[in-house]
Amino acid sequence: MRRVVFTLLLGILFLTLQVTLLTSFPFRRIRPDLILILVLYLGLFYPPISGGLLALFMGFLMDLFSGNGFGLYTLSSPFIFYGARFFKGRFYLESFTSQFLFVFTFGLVEGLLILILLSALNPGPVDKLYPLLFTFLLPQSLFTGLITPILFFLIRKGFFSLFNHQEIGVMERGNRS
Amino acid sequence: MRIRSLFLFRKYTISAFIIVLLLSALIVMSLRVKQRKGVDYFDALLMEFCAPFQKASTFVIKGIRGVFQEYFFLFHLQKENIMLKQRMAELQKENQQMKETSLANERLQKLLQFREKISPTVIAAEVIGQDPSSWFKSVTIDKGEKDGVRKGMAVIAPEGVIGQILKTAPHYSTVLLITDYNSAIDSIIRRSRAKAVVEGKGENRCQLKYLLRTEEVVVGDMVVTSGLSGNFPKGLMVGEVREVDRKGHGVFQYAELVPSVDLTKLEEVLVITGSSIPLSERREKKERKIPEKGAKKK
Repeated sequence: MRRVVFTLLLGILFLTLQVTLLTSFPFRRIRPDLILILVLYLGLFYPPISGGLLALFMGFLMDLFSGNGFGLYTLSSPFIFYGARFFKGRFYLESFTSQFLFVFTFGLVEGLLILILLSALNPGPVDKLYPLLFTFLLPQSLFTGLITPILFFLIRKGFFSLFNHQEIGVMERGNRS
Repeated sequence: MRIRSLFLFRKYTISAFIIVLLLSALIVMSLRVKQRKGVDYFDALLMEFCAPFQKASTFVIKGIRGVFQEYFFLFHLQKENIMLKQRMAELQKENQQMKETSLANERLQKLLQFREKISPTVIAAEVIGQDPSSWFKSVTIDKGEKDGVRKGMAVIAPEGVIGQILKTAPHYSTVLLITDYNSAIDSIIRRSRAKAVVEGKGENRCQLKYLLRTEEVVVGDMVVTSGLSGNFPKGLMVGEVREVDRKGHGVFQYAELVPSVDLTKLEEVLVITGSSIPLSERREKKERKIPEKGAKKK
């Protein structure tokens, strides 16, 4: 329960940083998606039930403060979470490069998923968003991937300092829901 | 009792949970599209919980930015000049503070003058956060339903139109900016009075649509609100035409527009909560009514 509350608070902290600190810098195009990093972290180290619920909540939070009225992130976040869970055993994710590539790929996947959902729900004006694939999505996914190893390290450090090793071991094996 | 034991086929617990979770996400989406009250309450509750963190963070960032701007360049000075430089820094700080106060004063005075000019039922709000996603364009403000803010209300600045209220919570609201691809405002070109619809294009750009090919539009033309799109008063500045596209076929031509307000640097905004009739017109109406009443009494 404690780690769920901690993750919820971490999600709120990441969202706050994403909408305030990261938007105050002049380089907006490369603003990394911290919530995506957290959802992928959940996918790698959390059990399917509590992790899935947390991913759904993170998506809900994103939708709450975003100009999208459909709730697209509420749907895309659990997809990303289960996608990450599905692929986590197929890659060696301890190195900087593999973590970067993993998050970069999922950043692109999430962007494409959002575009597909948008064009399914509101096909008319979505064509204006296609140029953003290259001007926003690509650089954003790149920078999200670049800061991932640091954030993964910090989150794991935070967990190790707050909870006992046995609990984290159970969490990382994903045996407890 | 563990959740798993509730399921008849334990083997499929996880798969069943994933399906239920994704279905519930779809239901939330459907409820949002239909704008049901249940989701709204939950939205408002979460917004009330999360927005104060954003407000505090914005406050801290503004403070740090001020200190950073004032002191950063002073760190490289030589030892012998430290005293002098410290004094200079103090003076600079005072000066900066005074400048900042003066600028804020000027801005607020401008807002106040504009508020009196446009409508008395306007409330000022502070921007506390930007959109977390790069696909959409919105900002969060520190005024909500308790302050009289409702969905669809127009949000403006002295320089022009900013957008409209998309979601509300008791003390906070989300504003959909005119640059969002979902935004559309009925407008006219000030010089030629040609009608068009301003739609968001993302990246601080808008597009003029449904502009008849027969209408004359040139680069530099000013676009203002027509007063036909609900809550926006007539004559508010929307932006300036930067590019005209007549290449395609059909009855319409297209133009690209740069908003008159720099939407990337928003700090304070005004929400039109009441009548959109300008104060001067209302005064005239009032004056007209008073003699009428006097005549009736006679």
